[in-house]
Amino acid sequence: MSSLPESLREKPLVEGRVSLADLDEHVQSLSETNPPRSWYVAVSITSLVALVGLSTVGYMVSHGIGTMGNNEPVVWGFPIVNFVFWVGIGHAGTLISVILLLYRQRWRNAISRTAEAVTVFAFICAMMFPAIHIGRPWMPHWLLPYPNSRGMWIDFRSPLIWDVFAVFTYFGVSILFWYMGLIPDLASLRGRTKSKVKRAVYGLLSWGWVGDARHWLQYEKAYLILAGLTTTLALSVHSIVSMDFAASILPGWHMTIFPPYFVVGAAFSGFAGVVIVFAFVRTTMKLEGYITMRHMDLLNKMVLFLSCVMTYAYIMEGFTAWYSSNVFDRYIFANYVFGDQWWAGCLTIFCNCVLPQLLWFPKMRRSVPAMVTVAAGVTLGMWFERYTILILSLHRGYLPATWGTFRPTIVDAGILVGSIGIFLTLLLLFLKNMPIIAAWEVKPDIVHYQKDAEVEHA
Amino acid sequence: MDEGMKDQDASSSAPESMSRRRFLSLMAASAAATSACASPDRDTIVPYTKKPSDVVPGVANHYASTYQEGLVAYGVLVKAREGRPIHIEGNDEHPIFAGKTSHRAQAEIMGLYDAERLREPRLGGAPASWEKAQAAVAAALEKAARERKPVLLLTPAVISPARRAAIAALGRVLPGLRHVAWEPALSATERAAAEALYGTPVAPRYRVERAKVLALFEADLLGSMDAAVPAVAGYARGRMPSRPGEPLSRLYAFESRLSLTGTKADARVPVRPSAAAPLAFAVARLLHERHGLALPAGLSAGDLAPFRADRVAKRWGADPAVLSALARDLARAGRESLAVAGPSLPEEAHAAAGLLNAMLGAEGYTLEAAHSVDPGPLASPAEMARLARELAEGKYAAAVFWETNPSYAVSDADGFGAALDKTPLKVCLGLREDETSRRCDAVLPVNHWLESWSDYEASTDLLALQQPLIQPLYDTKQGEEIILGWVKALGAPVETDPRAGLMARWRREVYPVGTLASFDEFWTAAVHDGVLRRDAAARAPRRLRGSAVASSAKKAAAARPGGLELLLEPDYKVWDGRYAGNGWLQELPDPVAKVCWGNFLSVSGADAKTFGLSDGDVAAVKVGGRSVELPVLVQPGQAAGAVFAALGYGRQGDVASGCGASVYPLVADDGSAPFLRSGVSVSGTGARRPLVRSQQEFGLHDRDIVRLWTPGEYARRAKTPEDTEELATLNDEPRWGEHKWGMAIDLSACVGCAGCQVACQSENNVAVVGPEQAARGRNMHWIRNDVYFVGDPANPQVAHEVMLCQQCDDAPCEPVCPVAASVHSEDGLNEQVYNRCIGVRYCEANCPYGARRFNFFDYTSSIQDPAELAFNPEVSVRPRGVAEKCTFCVQRIRNGEQIAKDEGRPLRDGDIRPACAAACPAEAIVFGDLKDPNSRVSRLARSDRGYKVLRELGTRPAVTYLAELKNPAEEKTI
Repeated sequence: MSSLPESLREKPLVEGRVSLADLDEHVQSLSETNPPRSWYVAVSITSLVALVGLSTVGYMVSHGIGTMGNNEPVVWGFPIVNFVFWVGIGHAGTLISVILLLYRQRWRNAISRTAEAVTVFAFICAMMFPAIHIGRPWMPHWLLPYPNSRGMWIDFRSPLIWDVFAVFTYFGVSILFWYMGLIPDLASLRGRTKSKVKRAVYGLLSWGWVGDARHWLQYEKAYLILAGLTTTLALSVHSIVSMDFAASILPGWHMTIFPPYFVVGAAFSGFAGVVIVFAFVRTTMKLEGYITMRHMDLLNKMVLFLSCVMTYAYIMEGFTAWYSSNVFDRYIFANYVFGDQWWAGCLTIFCNCVLPQLLWFPKMRRSVPAMVTVAAGVTLGMWFERYTILILSLHRGYLPATWGTFRPTIVDAGILVGSIGIFLTLLLLFLKNMPIIAAWEVKPDIVHYQKDAEVEHA
Repeated sequence: MDEGMKDQDASSSAPESMSRRRFLSLMAASAAATSACASPDRDTIVPYTKKPSDVVPGVANHYASTYQEGLVAYGVLVKAREGRPIHIEGNDEHPIFAGKTSHRAQAEIMGLYDAERLREPRLGGAPASWEKAQAAVAAALEKAARERKPVLLLTPAVISPARRAAIAALGRVLPGLRHVAWEPALSATERAAAEALYGTPVAPRYRVERAKVLALFEADLLGSMDAAVPAVAGYARGRMPSRPGEPLSRLYAFESRLSLTGTKADARVPVRPSAAAPLAFAVARLLHERHGLALPAGLSAGDLAPFRADRVAKRWGADPAVLSALARDLARAGRESLAVAGPSLPEEAHAAAGLLNAMLGAEGYTLEAAHSVDPGPLASPAEMARLARELAEGKYAAAVFWETNPSYAVSDADGFGAALDKTPLKVCLGLREDETSRRCDAVLPVNHWLESWSDYEASTDLLALQQPLIQPLYDTKQGEEIILGWVKALGAPVETDPRAGLMARWRREVYPVGTLASFDEFWTAAVHDGVLRRDAAARAPRRLRGSAVASSAKKAAAARPGGLELLLEPDYKVWDGRYAGNGWLQELPDPVAKVCWGNFLSVSGADAKTFGLSDGDVAAVKVGGRSVELPVLVQPGQAAGAVFAALGYGRQGDVASGCGASVYPLVADDGSAPFLRSGVSVSGTGARRPLVRSQQEFGLHDRDIVRLWTPGEYARRAKTPEDTEELATLNDEPRWGEHKWGMAIDLSACVGCAGCQVACQSENNVAVVGPEQAARGRNMHWIRNDVYFVGDPANPQVAHEVMLCQQCDDAPCEPVCPVAASVHSEDGLNEQVYNRCIGVRYCEANCPYGARRFNFFDYTSSIQDPAELAFNPEVSVRPRGVAEKCTFCVQRIRNGEQIAKDEGRPLRDGDIRPACAAACPAEAIVFGDLKDPNSRVSRLARSDRGYKVLRELGTRPAVTYLAELKNPAEEKTI
């Protein structure tokens, strides 16, 4: 190693001299100590917001879809925008955990656990929306294929059914992957705790893990295999979500570019979400040593890269619409940026294409305020991208006589804000109660670099 | 928060405690109630012990009857199920209406089951028995008779012999009776003009089907005018060529507002209303000078000298070429032409139109007065103002208002109300609580016409009968019975029972002497048919008095375009305001402006710029010292220098309150044209009142979705193969069963009258959503009349396109439904299974025609008792959260199939007519079996004008549209 020139040498993934015990002490003790008052303040606020959101959902379910802004022709409104948005946010976890794992990007080790948690919580938020947006929200189970007394079966031709399968599979596998990664760390929590109750719970959750070599051998193999399987899902789920639109015949939806375009968009918003989460987590929880500026820099590079891909996708989409000479497609794309809601399309382009260009500057990639601004912009921009695609396409259909306008109601806003509350509440509970860094994955890094350092010193 | 959701809480009605006994009784009742829905006697549902011979549960009965509106007596056929009237169509036996009726007559089902109907007599605001109420009124009348004090009786136009007889009987016992007939939205000008011009007040019947050239001056002949239904039928007949080169009629419209008729015009000239008379005189001069047509006696060429076409055209902003083209066409068509001046126009315009008709010899051919009946004089606004003064002076001992609402509809409503209070006894015979009944001492509820016996004199050779379909829903009496009750109380022996009285009079006066059939047979046949044709001597054709025309010409010659003009006309939907409580009509979009739940001020683009106003800005319209505030609508095609507003809004009531503003205050109290004002000022108030519109975009955006062709284009484009060949598909070719249902819609015949929309609403239990929901774009109409403006916004070409579910063979809505609620039947119907639907709405997102509708709330739970009686038991009432759409009236299809099966014969073409097709006065909608190559629909589907909307999407619609033909004088590309 030391023979490599400095520029090619892998930088250490931890900052400062930390021992393995330091890591345990730092990360795993979090769940054993009482959190600071600020945590309680934060969780009260977010759970209050979540509660307001859930009450709004209750109100909407008891009164009808009409309490939201949906109308003819904008039959799909905020709920589906939010659904696609949250599914997108939930994409970074898998990409970081799985694809970077397969590419042996070791820097992902410190951030994978929390990124996976973001995935799981975002999916919980996402899955709420299709269920509540249907006209008769008390029967979403009719979308599932199970033998029933109605003698009815679902129609597999419907993209919504593909969607149900894709989302459930992805959610299930994400939880499985996340939980599987937690097992060794839960076992070490079990070992550390002095409370009998906690020991029993951690013991149960860690499946009697003792960490002998055979366990590790099989565990790592299984982990890798699961990672391989999950890779396909990371690409498939948003492809299939995109087919809800691409398989329709509506101008603005009926585009072959949609599957890759949606996957990239999802990863883009996911990485932006992860940047925001880590920007706060690493400072408030004093984890700068493990989640270093280098990690943030790399995440920001991903954001920048994906922004460029998105920009390309937008250009291609517009070009295809123009090149098709199809009056309907041409109109709808012009309408995104010149129509009565031009600001939605323009905001999308500014936030997703222009703003992230700041990240070309290393200084910006390493400045917390700058990266949070960009990431927040991207998150907003990606929400508006879905708003543009969904609502601005629906409100200008084939027959001009059917055109309408969409005005969201306070119920729409309440449910959207509430879903953010649910997400943050779950995240805060996770940060308090679970090992937020995969200690078993980071420890080899510490050992590795300490060895390196020792060699150099010697 | 969304205001639309009041009263829509599905969960708010807590279930009553459910005992076992109650549960069992409900279970038993539910079987019976499936077809009867909820009736007022829902607690005592028992089987018939003696079944009425003609009522079979599950089988509809149809009864002929007659409905009066203004001066028109519509012959209608009412469909009843288990004794409940549920649907109204035209009476096939009626020689004038021929199976068609107006959208307003159809909506009378809602009028019958109106929750706001008066349910019992009231005296001084407190409920009273009939005996007491009648006695109180009779006593007051007796006192008036004794003291020889005058008594006022205000009624609508009386065209019913039964009603006339009752009023005459009252007059005999009450010498001081002053009967005034008044229609607030009808102009008395026409009758006065006819009297001056022809010496007879009778109005002719327009035989539009005979006219090759129509010259209409501010005359909405196909829309809001009285004779619209037969006019549409007649017009359509001349507009449905089956091959290029067939003759087409040509319609010239000179008008200020963009009327329904104007939208169909081949040449439309937007001019202010006062231009009508000079322009018509200019055409007459051209006819005389250029085409050598003789002037009637008493009128010299000199009288027409001031009307040089080029000068008149220039003065009034019209295209002189249109005038000479019109003159040429009229001269060529001779008596096969028709000139009509709108009812709001002053006498000069009627004189000018009459002159054209007389010169062309159209009188007696396209204008037929041989059997016309004079409905008698109608009070003008000036006379109503005089009446108000008399009332204020306390001249009358009593005032009786019989189904009329002057406290709302006179121009000074507050003044009238105050004047009314000076009369000791105010009696109201009314159907609903209204502005007048609230001021009356005795409120006597009358039967709805579907609960009444009467007869109407449609023409001297045609009597029409009105028969009740249902026992009175409430404690009401027929108006004639109430009046005759007073007569009886005042000591004259009369038959008060309306049926007995009617039969007695018919036996006496109508039953022809020497008839072979007994009177009972004669009567039964007349009641069955609803009409009775009689022999009557034809009146000699009307002769125009040239001298009267000459004096009118002088007046017209002096006219100059001045300030802003205001035209007022009865609303297309709520008419003079009597239907303002009817949800079906309030929610029906205006056929041109697509505004529902209110009226508006129609302003031209140029004027709007001058006023600094745009859509939804509230403008104050001031004229003659009165002012009304109305939201502005910038209407393409509205003539600059003139604005338009519809009467009939601004009523008080559960449904009507808050919908629009009354423009009756702007009606002039004097002059010969009270509905046409000049010297109007319009200014912004700074307020905004966004209009509720069912359609927001009227441009075509270069989309080939509706076809407007000239005859030349027709010849060029007829049957280009890409219009009819189906696109290649990867799907299996569908295999149809015995039938494959399809539809053809001839846009050339369709005038966009919206009759189909009301018919559909009535037939298919389509919910009314209310103004807040409609403003959010949640109308439930299964069939729409889309309107597109093409070309110059100042005077656009207008295309109507009836849009409904196209029952696509490759329906985009079907494969996207995750729960298979949208499926295809083997006879080609795209079926929606409401029970299966969970409301994901993908079908709606994927329907390129926007044909699907969604129940955003539980719209039916807010229905006020007894409106649920109007439901068609053959059609599911849709719950909250499901998608719905047109089914081609599948219940009618199955019914027709069943009848054919019962009769052991194959289905015949025309056996099945969906509600829209049955209602269409133009016969523009044709339904039938596409598998039968000889069916009408198959032949039309092969028409060389045929095209499918959005055919390029490969949806394979079952609806073929036939291109609309415009027939301009000068061929140019539209």
